[in-house]
Amino acid sequence: MKSLLSFTKKELLEQLRSGKILLVGILFTVFGIMNPAIAKLTPWLLETLKDSLAESGMSVTEITVTAMDSWVQFFKNIPMGLIAFILIQCSIFTKEYSSGTLVLALTKGLPRVQVVVAKATVLMALWSVGYWLCFGITYAYNAYYWDNSIAQNLLFSTLCWWIFGGFIICLITLFSTCFRSTSGVLLGIGGTVFALYLLGLLPKVSRFVPTALTDGTSLIYGVKKSEDFLPALIITAAIGFFTLFVGASVFNKKRL
Amino acid sequence: MDMLHISDLHKRFGDREVLRGLNLSVPEHSIYGFIGKNGSGKTTTMKTVLGLLKGDSGKITVNGERVVYGQTATNRLIGYLPDVPEFYSFMTASEFLRFCGEITGMKRKESETRIEELLSLVGLGCEPHRIKGFSRGMKQRLGIAQALLNRPKLLICDEPTSALDPVGRKEILDILLAVREQTTVLFSTHVLSDVERICTDVAFLKDGVTDMQGRLSEIKTKYRGKDYRLETETDSELRLITQAFPHVTIGEGNRATFCESDYTVSDVLHFVADRGIGILKIERLEPTLEDLFMEVTGR
Repeated sequence: MKSLLSFTKKELLEQLRSGKILLVGILFTVFGIMNPAIAKLTPWLLETLKDSLAESGMSVTEITVTAMDSWVQFFKNIPMGLIAFILIQCSIFTKEYSSGTLVLALTKGLPRVQVVVAKATVLMALWSVGYWLCFGITYAYNAYYWDNSIAQNLLFSTLCWWIFGGFIICLITLFSTCFRSTSGVLLGIGGTVFALYLLGLLPKVSRFVPTALTDGTSLIYGVKKSEDFLPALIITAAIGFFTLFVGASVFNKKRL
Repeated sequence: MDMLHISDLHKRFGDREVLRGLNLSVPEHSIYGFIGKNGSGKTTTMKTVLGLLKGDSGKITVNGERVVYGQTATNRLIGYLPDVPEFYSFMTASEFLRFCGEITGMKRKESETRIEELLSLVGLGCEPHRIKGFSRGMKQRLGIAQALLNRPKLLICDEPTSALDPVGRKEILDILLAVREQTTVLFSTHVLSDVERICTDVAFLKDGVTDMQGRLSEIKTKYRGKDYRLETETDSELRLITQAFPHVTIGEGNRATFCESDYTVSDVLHFVADRGIGILKIERLEPTLEDLFMEVTGR
């Protein structure tokens, strides 16, 4: 247990000293500010474009912006945040393979499973801090300019997206134990998400696929109910834990 | 009891068989030189002992306990220094050692005193910088410190001196000599002068098997040749000897060598005494490790 704590501490120190914590912090802060900013600027933007739009036959009428627009932006922007997060963190295992730094720790008797647990925990912690920071900033601005109560299932919809991020972290862990190179990890994640997206296009299974969790917009508009997300939530959690388990077993037998 | 025992170890990479039934016994408190050409399988053997590679067949025990691939419990008895040790470069030397101490489950107080002791042993006592800026020699010395941290029963060093300058090499060898009382050292090398300086035992590795192994002194005795070298005061005296003993070969200066199978030493000495030849020295030739290495590697 002490060794797990110590390895986790080392991971955090590495994230801190390599500047990744700062980077993730800045990234999600910017996204958090961008969501209400884009919503706030839309009427002004359309106003300036009014003349050119009129020439092409479109007329701009009175636009009222609400917190809803800002939350729609939130669900549009957070995928980019997650992609950036993946790009920043995808080398968390592979860097140690190529430099050979794990060899000393493992030959000192560090249980291999603890490497997987520590890295996944640190990724999850960083994702959580970044994600909820972004949420908090957007929420605060929305409350200041408009009214957040207009959005339905707000906490639940954002919680679903957060869990989807956790699922992606499980994928990072799994593919990092399978592949030695960062590009392998990225291809694995990209391929899996693309396959899930294609699967989600089939009406019969769309409710059960993890990517269904990303449809926060339907939730806040009340088009879908929170119960509709339950199957996907359970399946995502199950697959997530299963991938972690598989990842740890693969890592146990990995040649380093 | 042997600290490390390997019997009939086989390892194959693709169609290349690196180890073909390797046997090795490392006695306790020895400094064991593991000698072989590049690519002869030294690193493979060491990595298999550490459970980093899986042997195809064979048995390895450390202090009587069997080595298992993957989750290797015997590693708590071993300190390991890889050929090019890699550390977390964002840490300082003492931070890294503290991290190692926590992983091995040392008590905080114990590890603090041990770290201080080791850092001064390897000469990194007052090094405030991060490992990022360390030279190769400094990294190697830190590598030894981390390997010795939990007072291992077996210290495995993979070519610890091969990348170092003469000063760095001497420092490492001195450290290895100094820790002999506390532990058993197995180190691989192809630098034979290092072996002569500190090793008590040696094994020569060739084509994936140990060709010759045991105490260095015994091996030297066993392979001691029957050649003698004799040096006379003057050139003419040497000529007297070569006339009487035609199979003597003349070397540089006033030196000549002969083999005991041709002439006995007493015959030669009688002749020298009878003629009153002044000799500077007569000696039995010791095989050098280089001779043995060449004999084993077949070059």
